Amino acid sequence: MSLRRIATVEDLQQYLHVAMQLEHATIPPYLTALYSMHPTANADAYRVIRVVAVEEMLHLTLSANILNAVGGTPDLSANSFVPVYPARLPDGEDDFEVGTRAFSRDTIETFLKIERPAVAGEDDSRFVSRDRSAGALLPAVDAHEDSLHFFSIGEFYAEIGEGLERLHHEMGEGLFCGDPARQVGPAYYYSGGAAIVEVTDASSAAAALRVISEQGEGLGGGIFDEEGELAHYYRFQQLLLGRHYQPGDEAGSPTGPALDVDWDAVYPVVPDSALDHYTEPGELQDAVTAFSRAYGDFLTRLTEAFNGRPDLLLPAVVDMFHIRDLASQIIRNPMPGRPGVNAAPVFRGLAPVEVA
Amino acid sequence: MNDELHEAFLDLSSTLTGYSRFRLLGTGQADPYLSTTREAVGEEVLAELLNTYTDVHRDAGDDEKALDTGLRARILSDRLLGPVARNVIKMWFVGTWYELPQEWRDVQATRGHDSTHVVSPASYTEALLWPTIGANPPGAKAQGFGSWAAPPTIDAP
Repeated sequence: MSLRRIATVEDLQQYLHVAMQLEHATIPPYLTALYSMHPTANADAYRVIRVVAVEEMLHLTLSANILNAVGGTPDLSANSFVPVYPARLPDGEDDFEVGTRAFSRDTIETFLKIERPAVAGEDDSRFVSRDRSAGALLPAVDAHEDSLHFFSIGEFYAEIGEGLERLHHEMGEGLFCGDPARQVGPAYYYSGGAAIVEVTDASSAAAALRVISEQGEGLGGGIFDEEGELAHYYRFQQLLLGRHYQPGDEAGSPTGPALDVDWDAVYPVVPDSALDHYTEPGELQDAVTAFSRAYGDFLTRLTEAFNGRPDLLLPAVVDMFHIRDLASQIIRNPMPGRPGVNAAPVFRGLAPVEVA
Repeated sequence: MNDELHEAFLDLSSTLTGYSRFRLLGTGQADPYLSTTREAVGEEVLAELLNTYTDVHRDAGDDEKALDTGLRARILSDRLLGPVARNVIKMWFVGTWYELPQEWRDVQATRGHDSTHVVSPASYTEALLWPTIGANPPGAKAQGFGSWAAPPTIDAP
């Protein structure tokens, strides 16, 4: 992925496409860890990961709203939308990879990296300029000449926020030329992490970005956001520290109730499950295929929902619960011929791999 | 968990319930149900049940009818094994272990944990009863607001 500073509306749209890819890219790793837990074990850890996964779904929807507001066309159905795990995040952090793995300490360490707070200062220091490393990053939506990488998701969104402000300053309200009917509002998105924000102008765009950034990494370096909700990074950190945060706590030193984690009550799912792991004909292969078909259909439905049919989010919720049930069933089954390894679903449609 | 025991229990359960091993494993309940059975009837009776099933299965080969006849004759009609096999069926379908009949308890002088109990919160939601009747477990496995306006999306057995 190559990104340059946002100078045009096209640049901004490209960033928002990447934002949607980015938000989605975190969900299969979170859900795989979530569903790898034994059914009745780890209620606390289950809740922690589930809350974060649901908020990523909100962020995906907020990104779609902003993209629609500036005249873009969300598309989750392209084959390149979903990363092939293990993958680097689409905003360019290149010191770690994410994968679809079983719930474990290592997996949570990776989740902490995904959600790590921004450290860079203002302006250019949030970019790291490096040569493009082939295959390491997700395919570019549209390549530019400069390769820019972000240290964290927060810095990536800070650039979107500043780009929006710059373009709004230049273009005025003309920047928000999108059809308001394409916005997903509270009628079709509810009890999913926080209130959805319909984006129609600069202040609502800023509000949407604020929800994404604060839920991810806290407000102004704090561990809670404006609503008093714990940021994702610190939610995950509780699992490693074995204790809940409570208001007033400092980062790294939670003082709330103990949080017990049973790291062994987990199905040992195959890391970074791929369709070619399931070559043996039979019910498992059928189930993995059915899952990917359902997931591909689901992404197509989301694409339609984000392109003027927000009402389709209601049946998409039913899709999601069905996807959960299919995934759980697969994860509880062993991989044939691989003792001690369980199967796992592949979160991508069945479309053939695109030829470059 | 002894692998052989585990495999035999799955095979027996699959034959008794009509659900595939994949579907049974997919409930996540195979281990708890095996443990529950063992605790209730003891190692020896469990071993006899599974060994008898293995024999019946071997003798029947691929002959479904012979398997059916063998199961009825040597397990379901057996005074010792029959009630246990019926309990295993009920447990898979409703997630509850039922206390064995008094006659069985008298003969066996059972000391196990045999009282009627729901095996776990998950065993209720994962009971085979639900896919069998094409419904979702009431109060569990949320399907989303308004999903009741559409037919349930249940994978048939």
